[in-house]
Amino acid sequence: MNRKKDKGFESPRPYKLTHQVVCINNIKSFFRDKSVIGYVELTIFPTVMNLNRIKLEASSARIYRVRVNDLEGLHSFTNDPTLEVCHHESKQRNLNYFSSAYTAAVSAVDPDAGNGELSIKVPSELWKQGDEMKVMKVYIEFSLDQPKGGLHFVVPDVDGSMAERAAHVFSFGNQNSTRFWFPCVDSYSELCTWKLEFTVDASMVAVSCGDLVETVYTHDMRKKTFHYMLPIPTAAPNISLAVGPFEILVDPYMHEVTHFCLPQLLPLLKQTMSYLHEIFEFYEEILTCRYPYSCFKTVFVDEAYVQVSSYASMSIFSTNLLHSGMIIDQTPVTRRCLAQALAQQFFGCFISRMSWSDEWVLKGISGYIYGLYLKKTFGVNEYRHWIKEELDKIVEYELKMGGVLLHPTFSGGKEKDNPTPHLHFSIRHPHTLSWEYYKMFQCKAHLVMRLIENRISMEFMLQVFNKLLSLASTASSQKYQSHMWSQMLVSTSGFLKSISNVSGKDIGPLIKQWVDQSGVVKFFGSFAFNRKRNVLELEIRQDYTSSGTQKYVGPIKVTVQELDGSFNHTLQIEENSLKHDIPCHSKSRRNKKKKIPLMNGEEVDMDLSAMDADSPLLWIRIDPDMSILRKVEFEQADFMWQYQLRFERDVVAQEEAISALEIFPTPASRLALTDILEQDQCFYKVRIQACFCLAKIANSMMSTWTGPPAMKSLFTRMFCCKSCPNIVKTNNFINFQSYFLQKTMPVAMALLRDVQNLCPKEVLNFILDLIKYNDNRKNKFSDNYYRAELIDALTNSLTPAISINNEVRTVDNLNTDVRLILEEITRFLNMEKLLPSYRNTITVSCLRAIRMLQKNGHIPSDPSLFKSYAQYGHFVDVRIAALEAVIDYTRVDRSSSELQWLLDLVQNDPVHYIRHEILSMLAKNPPFTKAADSLLCNEALVDQLWKLMNSGTCHDWRLRCDAVNLYYTLFGLTRPSCLPLPELGLVLNLKEKKAVLNPTIKSEQGPGGPEVTTTMAFTSTLEEEHVVMEPALSGVAMAPQGLKRKAETPLGSSPEPGQVMQEEPSAKASVKSKFPTQEEEDIDMDTVHDSQAFIYHHLNMLERPSTPGKEPSSVEQAMLSMPGTPMPTLSKESTSSKHGDHHHHHHHHEHKKKKKKHKHKHKHKHKHESKDKDRDSHAFSNSPASGRSIRSPSLSD
Amino acid sequence: PSGLAYLNTIFLAIICPRSGSSKTSTSPTENYQLARRRTLQVVVSSLLTECGFESAEKAAMETLTEMMQSYITEVGRCAKATCEHTARSTPTLSDVVITLVEMGFNVDTLPVYAKRSQRMVITAPPITNAPVVPKALIAGQKRTHPTYIPSHFPEFPDPHTYIKTPTFREPVSDYQVVREKAASQRRDVERALTRFMAKTGETESLFKDDISAFPLIAAKPSTIPYLSALLPSELELQTLEETDSSEQDDQTDTENNSSNVSQDDQSADKENVVLPPGGVVPTGKANEENMIDNPYLRPVKKPKGRRKKLKLIY
Repeated sequence: MNRKKDKGFESPRPYKLTHQVVCINNIKSFFRDKSVIGYVELTIFPTVMNLNRIKLEASSARIYRVRVNDLEGLHSFTNDPTLEVCHHESKQRNLNYFSSAYTAAVSAVDPDAGNGELSIKVPSELWKQGDEMKVMKVYIEFSLDQPKGGLHFVVPDVDGSMAERAAHVFSFGNQNSTRFWFPCVDSYSELCTWKLEFTVDASMVAVSCGDLVETVYTHDMRKKTFHYMLPIPTAAPNISLAVGPFEILVDPYMHEVTHFCLPQLLPLLKQTMSYLHEIFEFYEEILTCRYPYSCFKTVFVDEAYVQVSSYASMSIFSTNLLHSGMIIDQTPVTRRCLAQALAQQFFGCFISRMSWSDEWVLKGISGYIYGLYLKKTFGVNEYRHWIKEELDKIVEYELKMGGVLLHPTFSGGKEKDNPTPHLHFSIRHPHTLSWEYYKMFQCKAHLVMRLIENRISMEFMLQVFNKLLSLASTASSQKYQSHMWSQMLVSTSGFLKSISNVSGKDIGPLIKQWVDQSGVVKFFGSFAFNRKRNVLELEIRQDYTSSGTQKYVGPIKVTVQELDGSFNHTLQIEENSLKHDIPCHSKSRRNKKKKIPLMNGEEVDMDLSAMDADSPLLWIRIDPDMSILRKVEFEQADFMWQYQLRFERDVVAQEEAISALEIFPTPASRLALTDILEQDQCFYKVRIQACFCLAKIANSMMSTWTGPPAMKSLFTRMFCCKSCPNIVKTNNFINFQSYFLQKTMPVAMALLRDVQNLCPKEVLNFILDLIKYNDNRKNKFSDNYYRAELIDALTNSLTPAISINNEVRTVDNLNTDVRLILEEITRFLNMEKLLPSYRNTITVSCLRAIRMLQKNGHIPSDPSLFKSYAQYGHFVDVRIAALEAVIDYTRVDRSSSELQWLLDLVQNDPVHYIRHEILSMLAKNPPFTKAADSLLCNEALVDQLWKLMNSGTCHDWRLRCDAVNLYYTLFGLTRPSCLPLPELGLVLNLKEKKAVLNPTIKSEQGPGGPEVTTTMAFTSTLEEEHVVMEPALSGVAMAPQGLKRKAETPLGSSPEPGQVMQEEPSAKASVKSKFPTQEEEDIDMDTVHDSQAFIYHHLNMLERPSTPGKEPSSVEQAMLSMPGTPMPTLSKESTSSKHGDHHHHHHHHEHKKKKKKHKHKHKHKHKHESKDKDRDSHAFSNSPASGRSIRSPSLSD
Repeated sequence: PSGLAYLNTIFLAIICPRSGSSKTSTSPTENYQLARRRTLQVVVSSLLTECGFESAEKAAMETLTEMMQSYITEVGRCAKATCEHTARSTPTLSDVVITLVEMGFNVDTLPVYAKRSQRMVITAPPITNAPVVPKALIAGQKRTHPTYIPSHFPEFPDPHTYIKTPTFREPVSDYQVVREKAASQRRDVERALTRFMAKTGETESLFKDDISAFPLIAAKPSTIPYLSALLPSELELQTLEETDSSEQDDQTDTENNSSNVSQDDQSADKENVVLPPGGVVPTGKANEENMIDNPYLRPVKKPKGRRKKLKLIY
């Protein structure tokens, strides 16, 4: 924090990068071998005397040669600790341990902290030169051989040349991942200018950042070299590359914008890009700033890592965003993606961030201006709907998973101060975040920007952005020597300062509430009308104790619609005031005939017969403008919700009313919903929502429902022929609103159920008729989404089969309705092979339908069909749908072979997105959870998953976090219950350690090749756990309190194994007294560095001495139950044994001191060093993640 | 004259244009001809009897009959030719006489021969109805000659030979039936097609007990899956063409970079580039690309000054 408040930006590195050359020449065939050879040259200015070491990031690259100013330099390629997070084969399998180790590993190579895995020793001849602060050129030759991360090669397996095969390659990564494809300073805060050269086959195009200066043939004329210059200082993570036989389209409106797509897709590209210039114009206009780069390139690639990724002056998109003019549904989606990409060009690429904790500013601003674009292009309704959707999303996530913190501060840099103890991962680094969390983070960031706008007005807001941009563009045109480049980095404090300068308003409280603090607000509202005083007594309570919530104090807007009009009131939410009196303006029903004025000035006639005769209140809304990140549960009578639905013009209010009406299944609700459905002025998404609500209400009103099934007559009236109402009109989708309604209504109708809880025959036949008579011949648009939704409707109509004696499902005993459905599905699925639909939407729906049929027991449950559709080579949407079905099958049938199959796919599938999706879908629909026993939960699985997140996913941060997420879902934070207790294995370790440890230390004296690491890591890491954690404990001086806190909140993830250590002796002591026979346990107690689960186990045994420790099942259950509840027993136990703890801690300390004095020394040294930004290459090495600490030269001193 | 008249009838029967063509028919026409032929045989036999023969071989009889028929036919043909030569359509007695003279027959002997005493009287051929010329399909009114065509000219042929008669079925106008038909037709075609594909290729089945029920065409991974998933199918394109052909222009020209030109045309107001209308002249193309100054459209340079740089790399 302190650092950030300083005006300038201080680099964590002892040098400043000014220019970098990247040259990749395809000496070997780029695509055939999937290998890359090239060199980089970094121009740096030392900022300290005697610069002797330079650290860079170069994960997985092979370095051939390093030269500094033409002198051969030595380089030591530090083993990247993230390659394998926990180095030893310990039986330790708890997530707490992993998370802390992983965080430490990432920190160890964190460029923002000046670290890096490639360390270059500057030749001593140049040291003196460093005195004079002269420029140094660091030249590195490197190669990548079939890189798993950084670059993704797509090489379709067909005959022909690479160009004919549409083979292409592009760079990708989560956050700063450029280190995976060339050595660099992989930090968003280290800016420099760039020269990029790529030599590729003559049939290919290399697209990269900056201006294409020239394209030159090589001498044999078979290859071309693309020369790019990027004169605007840019961070390495914003550099990208795409090479392929792209078709080139110069934007017809802006000639400096070029679009690239894979062969044969040019017509789609033209259509898709036809509106890009509007987005450009919009952003340039609101920001009053020209697009900062001199050119812009869009590249559409297959097997994209994410749909949209933005880099300096170029964006890489998924090719699946392309669409023809016939496609309705994809068009807005693609437009949104383009708008997002472009917004990130300004904030994210051009303006970069100072540190990870400033990320929210960039994501917030780009998300916010993207929202403005949505408002302008899709209208205010769409915008408000989107804001509500985003708000609901973040609220749901935070209430479920715990708070999302936008601006984490890590005082002192110690992991102890974990600002988010509720999470199973650390938010210190972008690479340790779960993907879901990061999505929510972005969502919250832009919502908070909107809150700031509410406070300071949009005009000021845009001025702030303009100021940031103009400062940055002034800086970007300066030479490095002017030290202006840091103006291109945004920081939280700088941003807030701009706001206060421009607006003169203090938004401190707002920032404190939403940015520095996590959580959302949960309001409960209710009211009573006091007739005598003509006052509305409003009560607003808050829940700020459950996870993910926070307390709100401040103003809140309440809108009351009375008979005389709509009135806004601003109430002050204070500590203890729950009740608020709001005077009403109108007497109850003074004038029956009068029209009622609405908020927007409109006056309407209302049928007031439904309302309470004594009260003038029509409806009440709390925080109608969504100016708090909150969830409101408000109680008002059903008729008030109905009025709100019918007459409130705000779509958010309408949507709130619809969801509130779900619990009021009355004819009046039915009428209100039907009226909304029929009103074509009403926003179509509201009407869509009304459809589903109506279906729910109809089901609740089953016994009293009169007339045809809900929505049927409405659909008939809107979309069927006048002369023959059972036949739908030929498709004409020219009116998009009614198109969306036509799509949705059958899907909602299929949810209707009759008294037997079956879908009414009438409805099913109706849907079958819609399919039968569907006729798209005269339509300008494709009907693939419509047909897909009709299949979805069939899926929705399915109900569980009545199974007699668990008979095997055969063709003969197929229900007649199901037979009809199955016939349709079969035909659709088969037709799709002959005439595939856009994005294979129909196949996707059919697969879901088939899974539903299986799940409901109509047809035999069998994953083989899905597995064939999940193969590589099908369209990605199809694969995802098929995988979803397999995952569902795995859960329902508890199939270990399918689970294995899925995990194999995670490790071997060529498409990164698929691997990511498998893991996240598994986490969403887990085969089992920590709460339930399952046969699937076995040691092999634990090992496999552990290996996956420990080392199997080192090339892809996102995938690793997905694996962590899944592990958390399956096993929780503590030791998986299915593992045997870690007893004998550790004894062995102990002995081994004693025997091996010392020799290994000695072997460290040399510069140390990587092969030593592997042999040693196994035994040595146990030791490091002590070593690392102890300073943390003693340093913060919280041994007793910390312990207590820990005991009280066992879920709190201050996951240092060292801390666990302290508890062990107490356990041991007690165990000893009660179970004097268990000698084995006693022995390993000394060295057990194991999970809390182990402790729980022992504590639990103390609690129930009758339970023999060798009965694993009961112990497991006990352990399971432990972390979930804050256990009074445990805390009691720990307080009673506090003294003992303390004592043992000291004892332990002494013991350590004696044994590893030298280590202690090192530790303390490290503490100091880390403060002075140590120059030691091994500063990070005593993290638990690294097996190298013992090898570090300082140790052997 | 009665003999002549008789001969005449024979002639006419033989020269009737349709008589030859109706051989195959077993209709009255055939009967008629058989009757004639029999009569002719009787005539030949009686002539032979007159000459004193008592019997004749069948083959000889046939030959003679044939000769007789040929002779009479020739007389008829020549008479007709003579008659037409004088621009008439019906032969007269003198035509026949001339013909007979032409054929070297002494006409003067004919009356004597006809009135000879021992001649046998042959019964008249059985009266069979003259062959009914199958009436052509009567379509429309037979047209009479217009005034400027003399009436002796042949009549117009039957109307059906020149009148265009549009044939159409009564259209099914009931909307419901039409839709019903279209729907079931499409469904039948689709089902038949998919069944066929399923039968001829690999399949997957949802049921283990009955593989043939609900056969699904096996899912085959493709090498470039996004192409079929993103590009509109030909059918869709065709539909689009039918509904709106003007919009189609953009979609079909996938030629090369110069296709930008077509879009530029539409947005000409947006830019200052003036483009040559219509066809692309090769020389003009280079100009356009220069006008759209985009580095990706520039020609690739030849490696001239590359030597220095190469040194740097190696």
